[in-house]
Amino acid sequence: MSFTRPDGRGNEDKRPLHIIYERLDRVDGSARFGFGDTKALASVSGPIEVRLAAEQPSKATFDVTVRPLSSLPGTESKALATSLRGLLSPSLILSRNPRTLLQLVVQSLTPSPIESYPPSLAAACINASSLALLNAGSIPMTGVVCAAGVALFRSTTEEDIPALVLDPSESESREAVGCGCFAFLFRTEIAGSQPLPTNDTPGARLVWTNWHVKDGTSDDGELARAQALGLAGAETIWRAIKQSVPQMDNLPPPPLPSRSTAGELGIITQSDEVSDQDMNDAKIEI
Amino acid sequence: MSVVLPGELIQAQHKNLKLGPGLQQYVDLQGRTSTVVTRAGTLEQNAKGNKSWVEGNSRRYVPAAQEPVVGIVAARQGEGWRVDIGSAHQASLDGLAFEGASRRNRPNLKVNSLVYARVSLAHKDMEPELECFDAQTRKAEGFGELKGGFLVRCSLKMSRNLLDPNYFLLPLLGSRFPLDAAVGMNGRVWLSTKEVKHTIATARCIEAADPDGGGMDQIAVKKFISTLD
Repeated sequence: MSFTRPDGRGNEDKRPLHIIYERLDRVDGSARFGFGDTKALASVSGPIEVRLAAEQPSKATFDVTVRPLSSLPGTESKALATSLRGLLSPSLILSRNPRTLLQLVVQSLTPSPIESYPPSLAAACINASSLALLNAGSIPMTGVVCAAGVALFRSTTEEDIPALVLDPSESESREAVGCGCFAFLFRTEIAGSQPLPTNDTPGARLVWTNWHVKDGTSDDGELARAQALGLAGAETIWRAIKQSVPQMDNLPPPPLPSRSTAGELGIITQSDEVSDQDMNDAKIEI
Repeated sequence: MSVVLPGELIQAQHKNLKLGPGLQQYVDLQGRTSTVVTRAGTLEQNAKGNKSWVEGNSRRYVPAAQEPVVGIVAARQGEGWRVDIGSAHQASLDGLAFEGASRRNRPNLKVNSLVYARVSLAHKDMEPELECFDAQTRKAEGFGELKGGFLVRCSLKMSRNLLDPNYFLLPLLGSRFPLDAAVGMNGRVWLSTKEVKHTIATARCIEAADPDGGGMDQIAVKKFISTLD
């Protein structure tokens, strides 16, 4: 495979992951997730009081809103919100809090092209949502949903195996022949009789994908390989999420007033209480 | 004492196993049981190994029976009151669920007054119920209307810490000035001190020690108090 990526990454390399628990004031849980510059912020409130019209007698109402970086949510945002609702529902035990509302708001922090959310941004939205739900901690969950974007490139000159790349950047997903986001639910399957997985992650099950190929010559093997690459990416994200759990609380003491909070990290936090040092702790890069 | 995420299987085998928050048990067709985590946090176990739970922080209160809570009276309803305890549904507090209350002599709570009560009924399909006395002894045992004072909010982990007798903060503050406090498991703490500056100091210390806020430890809080006085 002679394919090289514009930013010099290997085909199976992700951009650096950012996991930041935002501690937004008026919600129950919030988190920011980013693959490099492709970032999304999610907040969760719940279980809270529900409108009488939306009340369900046997389970909580799960409401998802996706907001683009600029302007009002359009069809694409609404479509992603519906997908998010569908793919996150299997990870939640909504029947534990009937007649309540669980509200999830996802804010994209990256400009999205008009046609659709690129796969990496969709994956960032999914991962940010999972993190916010974990951070809220008030809704019991059966597992964690992690997602990764995959893109397909075909070389024009030689009869080569098409190259699959993990976590395509925005320009890559524009140029790719095929691309899509794969979301997996990580949970231990109780009903099945399969042996426990040998690695450190619980079993994963594909819950959603929007894989599509533009030139119309896709085959099942390609999809299976793309899914396997997405799963490998999602597994590393699952481990990063697990590593980030201790950062949900136990924030180190606030800095002394004399310490400077300038620089790039100071801009990221926009909080007086968190120093540069704390930010380095709160941000995982892999 | 390990970090766990929802969906992970844990080893919890005991003849008399008790599972706390964040864990769920499944039984398969062969009668084998398995315990799965349902919230993110650290897995804790007592010394005997028969009790397991997941310790994590959250901000939204989900009522559980027998927990003390600080509530705000929202409305009068027939014989009792509707009380906001921070959960999805308002709780109901019966007019007779007070020490010494009778049909003729019942407490008079105004809307927006504070009560310290125990959750007597918590079921997902029913609205929570509160009581301000021990149903067996019919004694108040500290519950009842909270008059005067000041209400602060904190995370649920912080309110659990404050209720822990080994936690440093309340003894530390109590050694400096007289302090009355009523800690609810719903992340609300009622404070009453003689002087306003002591109330402010207590409120700021709770905020500073809150793992969801400043996250200070004992040494940092001691240093912090000395800057306040």
